Amino acid sequence: MDALLAWLGETALAEWMRLSRWGYAAINTLHVLGISLLIGTIVALDLRLLGCRRQLPPGELGRLLQPLAVAGLLLAMATGSLLFLADPGGYAESWLFRLKLVLIALAVANALWLGLGPGLAGATPRRLRLAGMLSLLLWPAVLLAGRFLAFVDD
Amino acid sequence: MRQSLTWLLPFVMLLSLSPAQAHHGWTGGETIEIEGTITAVRLGNPHGELTLDVDGESWTVEVGQPWRNERAGLEEGDLAEGVELRLSGEHSGERLMKAEQLWIDDEHYVLYPGRI
Repeated sequence: MDALLAWLGETALAEWMRLSRWGYAAINTLHVLGISLLIGTIVALDLRLLGCRRQLPPGELGRLLQPLAVAGLLLAMATGSLLFLADPGGYAESWLFRLKLVLIALAVANALWLGLGPGLAGATPRRLRLAGMLSLLLWPAVLLAGRFLAFVDD
Repeated sequence: MRQSLTWLLPFVMLLSLSPAQAHHGWTGGETIEIEGTITAVRLGNPHGELTLDVDGESWTVEVGQPWRNERAGLEEGDLAEGVELRLSGEHSGERLMKAEQLWIDDEHYVLYPGRI
């Protein structure tokens, strides 16, 4: 594991992330954009799942919001991997970073559990509420963990 | 609707909490000066970090991003293991400092010209 992290840190891409001024700033900005898209759309969808604005069909709303949330997640994951490259060893040993990865895994699992299962259109209101509540807890927790990486000493 | 919004409230409150004892940025702590030998170094974004042996105690010192260190006149090898230096900067945490300026062999390097 340590060897892999050390190797990652020595790649040309990692060096660029470590040294580039505006490149790093741009990747950082795109990371925030990805998070904004993800959280902004998923919170709206979760509120519907929790019973807000019942006149909107969840399936229809999902067709609008889910692709945006997925695009945001993919953008955040791609840029997040690049930010990780700037200091692989440091992030890997941070308890908060590990917690963040676990929270992301749980949040994605929750989304897939609904999506690959009954789906937004086919699930019972009770099932939708559970998924919405978990999602509304997990994604903001991911955001908190990520932001506080910069402020917590480990 | 009102019920759902009640859900949101705790999150919004959590998100707006300002991190009082941030290691990031300036904390309004006192400016101190330390002198020691670099025992470990990691330079690069988001900012460089030195581990310093100060009279047998291990200090962590945050220096600038690559462009800031370069602008201060620091060259490769200046911040390296074994180098002795004196630093002035903001005290934060128990043995943590955010460096504003430093001296190596009487050569003066200013990381934050606006803060000294």
